[in-house]
Amino acid sequence: MPKRTGRILCGSGLVLLALVLALSAAGVSGSKELKTIVIDPGHGGMDLGAKGKFGTLEKNITLAVSFKLKALIERNLPYRVVLTRDKDIDVSMENRSAIANNNDAVLFISIHTNGSFRKMAQGSETFFLSLNAPDEETRKLAYMENTSSELEKQIEDKNKDEVKMILWDMAQSAYIKQSSQLAEEIQKELNIFLGTENRGIKQAPFKVLKGVACPAILVEVAFISNPEEEQKLIKDDFQRKVAEAIYQGLKKYTKLFS
Amino acid sequence: MDRTKAILFFVLVFLLVVLAFIFFKNSGSERIKKPGEIPQPAVSTQAPIEKSTRKVTLFFLREEDSRLVPEERNIVSDPSTVREAEEVIAELIRGSQTGLVSSLPAETKLVQLFITKEGVAYVDFSKDLVDKHPSGSAAEISTVYSIVNSLAYNLKPIKKVFILIEGEERETLGGHISLDHPFLPDYSLIVKE
Ligand SMILES: [Zn+2]
Repeated sequence: MPKRTGRILCGSGLVLLALVLALSAAGVSGSKELKTIVIDPGHGGMDLGAKGKFGTLEKNITLAVSFKLKALIERNLPYRVVLTRDKDIDVSMENRSAIANNNDAVLFISIHTNGSFRKMAQGSETFFLSLNAPDEETRKLAYMENTSSELEKQIEDKNKDEVKMILWDMAQSAYIKQSSQLAEEIQKELNIFLGTENRGIKQAPFKVLKGVACPAILVEVAFISNPEEEQKLIKDDFQRKVAEAIYQGLKKYTKLFS
Repeated sequence: MDRTKAILFFVLVFLLVVLAFIFFKNSGSERIKKPGEIPQPAVSTQAPIEKSTRKVTLFFLREEDSRLVPEERNIVSDPSTVREAEEVIAELIRGSQTGLVSSLPAETKLVQLFITKEGVAYVDFSKDLVDKHPSGSAAEISTVYSIVNSLAYNLKPIKKVFILIEGEERETLGGHISLDHPFLPDYSLIVKE
């Protein structure tokens, strides 16, 4: 009998020890590990993005700019940068936002170059998510507020996945205000550094932004469909300026919150 | 005697058809400007070619600033909203008459269109809308809202528009704007004169 009690005590002691270790490890990593910024080079692999008259592909420019931006941030700011892709491969929209969420990203920046039907469109703009169908979204949000806290208790197992999907799909709606501030800071710097026409900050229902659970924006740097701007986009010097502009914008944004 | 009457009748109908045809062909541009002054063709109800028209406002793209610009057009009026919606889409694909840009590639075909009783129009396009699309946020936004605004602005029963490709929901046209939900019109994209 005492032997058994001892074993139980010992066993639960071990479990407790493991728990304490796990918790302290989490605590330590939380305070010591750097926070993560996720940079998303638009398109990749089979998805070429927009194309220029001289054959420039959006997917290549976005990757080149992303590398430069990553280097700038890691050199000068206390953040770790994760890219959603670091080579020419396909990455699904879901995976792009999942990379941000799984890394507990504090900022998500998707980099694109714009495209239109003809040659004339030009300039740079910065987007954050719009909640299209407001009635539907508010209904979903109300549903979220009512259910998320008591999710485990109230929802039957078979419905849980569906609710999680809704929560996941709506992740960005909690960060719209911050995302708009981030967009504003970055757009200001694009105007200063690039001298491209200011198309301002805008809202649109971007697939890649929807599921991101942190402030998130999508930059459209110049038009690859405009031959003059295409010529700029392929230049290393211009790409460096784009990275510098985004870097300055996000630095100013992070100062607002520290 | 009966035979002569019948022949005369058919000749008359034939003449009216020809006249009506000439009238429609020539008066297109004038009728857009002053729809109130169109004399009704003198064709009896028996002649099925007589069709009344209605004015609609289509939204095409102005490249310089990516704004949508209204352009008026006459379509054959029809008691069926679906038929009129189909005509609006056909006109968008046919393109602008004033030098604006159609945000639907010319190869695009409308596969099917239906409207739910909640007022959601499901507009199903051929894959050309994706394959021939230039991609790019600006291009995708103009395609979506050229369609959505043109339908909702002219056809009261349509409140929202769901864009399908070959019968299926599509993630995006070219990697940007999400198509997984019905769109409300956004008239803020229209040029302010
Ligand atoms: Zn893109």
